[in-house]
Amino acid sequence: MASSFWNIAYQQAMRSGVFVAKVYSFLHVTTNYLAFPAYAFGPSMIPTLHPSGNVVLAERISKPSRGDVVVFQSPEDPNKLPTKRVVGLEGDSVSFVVGPGKNDESRTIVVPKGHVWVEGDYIQNSRDSRIFGPVPYGLIQGRVLWRVWPFQDFGPIGPPTTT
Amino acid sequence: MGSSSSFWNVAYRQAMKSGVFVAKVYSFLHVTTTYLAFPAVAFGPSMIPTLHPSGNVVLAERISTRSRKLSRGDVIVLQSPEDPNKIPIKRVIGLEGDCESFVVDPEKNDESRTIVVPKGHVWVQGDHTQNSRDSRIFGPLPYGLIRGRVLWRLWPFQDFGPIDDHNLKK
Repeated sequence: MASSFWNIAYQQAMRSGVFVAKVYSFLHVTTNYLAFPAYAFGPSMIPTLHPSGNVVLAERISKPSRGDVVVFQSPEDPNKLPTKRVVGLEGDSVSFVVGPGKNDESRTIVVPKGHVWVEGDYIQNSRDSRIFGPVPYGLIQGRVLWRVWPFQDFGPIGPPTTT
Repeated sequence: MGSSSSFWNVAYRQAMKSGVFVAKVYSFLHVTTTYLAFPAVAFGPSMIPTLHPSGNVVLAERISTRSRKLSRGDVIVLQSPEDPNKIPIKRVIGLEGDCESFVVDPEKNDESRTIVVPKGHVWVQGDHTQNSRDSRIFGPLPYGLIRGRVLWRLWPFQDFGPIDDHNLKK
C-alpha cells in the first residue's frame, strides 16, 4: 500500500518534471532566437519610454539600422542592459557635445567597423555612446518593437518624436 | 482506398514522432551548449604554440564566463569587436584596472603605449604576438563579447590535453 503510493507520487513528479523541462527549453529557444520581453525604466528615453517603467517586446531577428531602439549589454558593466536608440551605423560621422552643462565644445567621431553609435532620446539625462563610445554589434541583444505595458502606452516604438 | 489513407496516416505519425524527437534533442543540445560547454574549431597562427595553425577542436565552457570568474592566463573564445561574425580565440592578459604596455607597430619601430584596462573590459593577446589581431589592434574587449573559456584540446589526438595558463595565474 505505502510503496505504491510513493510509486505513483514519483511517477507524477517525473511527469511534471519532464513537462517543466519541455516548457523551459521551448521558452529558452524562443527567447534566444525570436523575441523576448524586457522591462525598461529610467529617464534616458523620454518621451519614447516612460521613466517609471515600460514592459517592451524586443526581437532578435533583424539587424539594427539607424533609428532603431535596441537593448544591449553595456560596455561599462556587462550586468547592465541599457535601452537606447541607434543614431549612427559603422562609417557614419557623429557629432556630439562633450559636456553639455559646461560649454558648447563638440567632437566628431567616425563610427568604426562592427560598431553602432547609440544615444538616449532624452539627451540631457542619458549615459550612452557619448560617454562609453561606440558599441560593438556583438553586445546588442535585440531591437525593441512594441511597448506592451502599461496599457496606455501600448503600441509600436517608432522614430523619435520631434519636440 | 482505406489502406492507402492509413499508409499516409502512419507515415504522418512517424514523421511527427521523429520531428518531436529531433526537437527534443535540439533543445537539449542548445541548452547544454549555451549554459555548460561547447566544442569549437580553432585555426590560424595567432595562438602558436598553444593551438596548431592548421586547426584544433577544443572544448570551451561557459560556466566561468557567465559567473564572471575569468582570470589572467585563461584562453577565451570571443566575438570580435571589429566583425561580429568572427569568433577569435585569444588569451586574457589583463583584467579591468591592469596596466598593459605594448608595442604599437612591431614592424615599424619600438614605440610602445601603456593603457589601463577600463572597467567591464579585458585585454586579450594571441600567444604568437607576431601574427595576431588582438587588443593591441582592436582595444580592450568588453566582457559581454566573451563567449567561453577554452578548457581542453580534443583533436588531433596528439594534441589531446588541457590548455595551460602560461604561468599568468598568480
